[in-house]
Amino acid sequence: MKTKKKHGTGLLLVVVAVYLLIPLVFTFLYSLFREWMDILPSSFTLNAYGEILGDSVFWLSVGRTLIISIIPIFICMVIVLLAMYVVVVYHPEWDKYMKLLCTMPYAIQGVILPICVLALYADAPEPFSNRIFMLTSTYCIVVLPYIYQGVRNNLNGMNVKGLLEAAQMLGAGQFYSFFRIIVPNITNGIIISSMLAMAIVFGDFVVINMLAGNYFPTAQMYVYEIMKKSSQKTCAAIMILFTVTLLISMFVFLRGADSQKQDEEN
Amino acid sequence: MAYIEFKNIDKFFGRNHVLRGINMEIEKGQFVTLLGPSGCGKSTLLRCLAGLETIDGGAIFLDGEDITRKDPKDRNIGMVFQHYSLFPNMTVAENIAFGLKLKKTDRAVIEKKVADAIRMVELEGKEDQYPSNLSGGQQQRVALARSIVMEPKVLLLDEPLSAIDAKLRKSLQASIKQITKELGLTAVFVTHDQDEAMVMSDVINLFHDGKIEQSGDPVSVYTRPVSSFAAGFIGNYNLLSVKDFTLVTGKVRQSGKETAIRPETFTISHQPIKNDDEYHFEGIVESNSPRGNVLRYTVNVNGVRIHIDALFRSRVLFEDGSRVYVSVAEKNCIVL
Amino acid sequence: MQSKRYLLAGFPFILLAGMFEVLPVLTTIIKSFRPEGGGFGLTLEHYVAVFTKPLYVSAIRNSLLISAASAAIGLLVAFAAGRAACERGGSVKKLFMSILNMVSNFSGVPLAFSFIILFGNAGVVTILGRSLGIQSLAEFPLYTIWGLMLTYIYFQIPLATLLLIPAFDSIRREWREAVNIMGGNDRIFWRKVGIPVLLPSLLGTFSTLFANAISAYATAYALLMNNYSILPIRIAEQFKGDIVQRPEFGSALAVVLMLIMVCSMGITQRVAGMTGGKKA
Repeated sequence: MKTKKKHGTGLLLVVVAVYLLIPLVFTFLYSLFREWMDILPSSFTLNAYGEILGDSVFWLSVGRTLIISIIPIFICMVIVLLAMYVVVVYHPEWDKYMKLLCTMPYAIQGVILPICVLALYADAPEPFSNRIFMLTSTYCIVVLPYIYQGVRNNLNGMNVKGLLEAAQMLGAGQFYSFFRIIVPNITNGIIISSMLAMAIVFGDFVVINMLAGNYFPTAQMYVYEIMKKSSQKTCAAIMILFTVTLLISMFVFLRGADSQKQDEEN
Repeated sequence: MAYIEFKNIDKFFGRNHVLRGINMEIEKGQFVTLLGPSGCGKSTLLRCLAGLETIDGGAIFLDGEDITRKDPKDRNIGMVFQHYSLFPNMTVAENIAFGLKLKKTDRAVIEKKVADAIRMVELEGKEDQYPSNLSGGQQQRVALARSIVMEPKVLLLDEPLSAIDAKLRKSLQASIKQITKELGLTAVFVTHDQDEAMVMSDVINLFHDGKIEQSGDPVSVYTRPVSSFAAGFIGNYNLLSVKDFTLVTGKVRQSGKETAIRPETFTISHQPIKNDDEYHFEGIVESNSPRGNVLRYTVNVNGVRIHIDALFRSRVLFEDGSRVYVSVAEKNCIVL
Repeated sequence: MQSKRYLLAGFPFILLAGMFEVLPVLTTIIKSFRPEGGGFGLTLEHYVAVFTKPLYVSAIRNSLLISAASAAIGLLVAFAAGRAACERGGSVKKLFMSILNMVSNFSGVPLAFSFIILFGNAGVVTILGRSLGIQSLAEFPLYTIWGLMLTYIYFQIPLATLLLIPAFDSIRREWREAVNIMGGNDRIFWRKVGIPVLLPSLLGTFSTLFANAISAYATAYALLMNNYSILPIRIAEQFKGDIVQRPEFGSALAVVLMLIMVCSMGITQRVAGMTGGKKA
């Protein structure tokens, strides 16, 4: 009876896992063969990868993706930490407003946020109507919930008030205490939530397509454009980008598991 | 003028009046305890002295200077917290050196002072450990070293022993007392534990409901409570109402509301006792419970239950249900 | 009194949130009441059009339908899979969660494209179906609501399972043992204890999935183009259309979408609050 049930749950997990892996596996296989006109593919080749990796347009688009994911996340992190300083040190009662503002992007996710930004700034004077400016600011909002949650969770895990008071009694100013004692203690959380945010911006299509697709073609736009030309190359590009995203999220996963283990040990 | 003076301190949390016109003086080099149940305002007063709370009325003087409006970091006051509050990203030595570095002290001086402090709190060899690798008692020693290395004008201790295992508590208690004496530090110590207060203090200030109920040296506070609250909080006093007092002793007392009698001031015997200046009565032993080196008997005297402590030598001398004769000196019956 | 200079540190946040979150949303709401072409005054004409023109009514209906259905199916699969994974525990659960984490990164345009090479006109499954003579595989209607549903369910499953697994973890073994000792079987455990305890998480997850699906744009955009009408695509084309751009009308559509999102979150929060209140 017991073993039968175990087999049942195991089978279910296998079925779900296979279903989820099929599209990935086939995309990968597709990228390796020139023809797939029969049940089995034929003419194995790595040409598609070669062509993509040799394409300067691809590298430029990857570079743009990197820039546009790192800069807004950095800006957003600094802004959130500064605001958190005020909320944590001076006005804990303001946290509910900060939380509201930081979780609101969930309610305006997907297509809504970029069109709202467009509605306001499309006809505004420079620099607001500058597409790169709009893009950067919009991504700041997109990653805001993840950054906030990451920082907040880590702060909740430590005795912030006690540490600040102790530092104060030893002659440290509030600003110094927050950024030299509290922030260094949540570095791991900051890195994890930044990487998580990076994976999100990396996979974004809607914001870039709505706001700056033609001005600032990122890797996702590259995939979309190349889709119309060659299936095999598209699959290769998808696999390359997927690998990069995977590396980022693996980093997050390992880092997170690490810090959890440390907590348990302490 | 005293070394530290609190003048008419008022403090509100919202509509809650937590400090009600506190006046208190502390002399240089004294070890002063603020004792009381939780929520009595003792910690709040300490935090006001530290500058971590602002006061709503009154003034605080330290060493002849009005520090009421000063930032905590400019008061030169050291503080040890209940939950240690060590900086988790710094080693023991870095934690202790933190304040000195902020003062831009010379590096050689820092090293020497840190080493001295570590020796003083008996943590040699732990210099490069992180706080998370230390026991609670060790962490609190680091916190103590971190404060005294700054040579503060006064050392504040906010229930520093409450979070520590009973076993380690005694040795840390002794260390704190010894170090403060050795350095001639003025210390203000907050606790809710009356035994701890008795052992540690030069002066005890008993807090109740935002006011100082009683103030004095441990012996006088212990033997001469001024109110039923003080008698109830310190020394397990028996508190007898006027009616109960008459039921027990057969005498009528005119003045006061209650009579407080410490359990160890009774004499308990199988034979009737007759001495002058003593109250005598009989009762039935209801139960007994050993408490370390004393046995506590609960004796029923005309329907009133009285706790009596007797030295616990080898065995229970008065069985449950037996009739006993009890006496107590008149001077040990404190009228409140 | 202390100086209030520290407030300066909060200023950048207010600026960012104000200028790129609050103001844009407010503008969009206001814009949805403005007449087309930038005239003066306020009007309800866009909302009237949204709820009367068949093109937009069907877009809203389709969006609601596909989001609710994909969220429900995703939740169902996640419930079974999450429960199974937690019952197995150990390395099986770890491996399964790694797979979920991995495929949860596979979304948007790449996901749509991989379904095209599987089920499209020259897709692998289509060819397979043709050569094996299985009609239903050979003619899978990818570019319709069915294809869209398949891709949506695909991205809902890992998300839902990852959200539910912590909730399953929170169910204590002792609870089930207590039910067993008192003579209840597993079914009674789930009906009387398991599901009620999980309910807030289930509702929260459903709401997240629903919001995720109804605002999704990339997958549908890459897969369908204009073959099938859903709300996000209709909104986007008012701002970035190849035909005519109608920002005021698009704003009205966006407000409708926002209202749907807020309602779904609000309702689930209320329900979860009512049933889960006891838990806390």
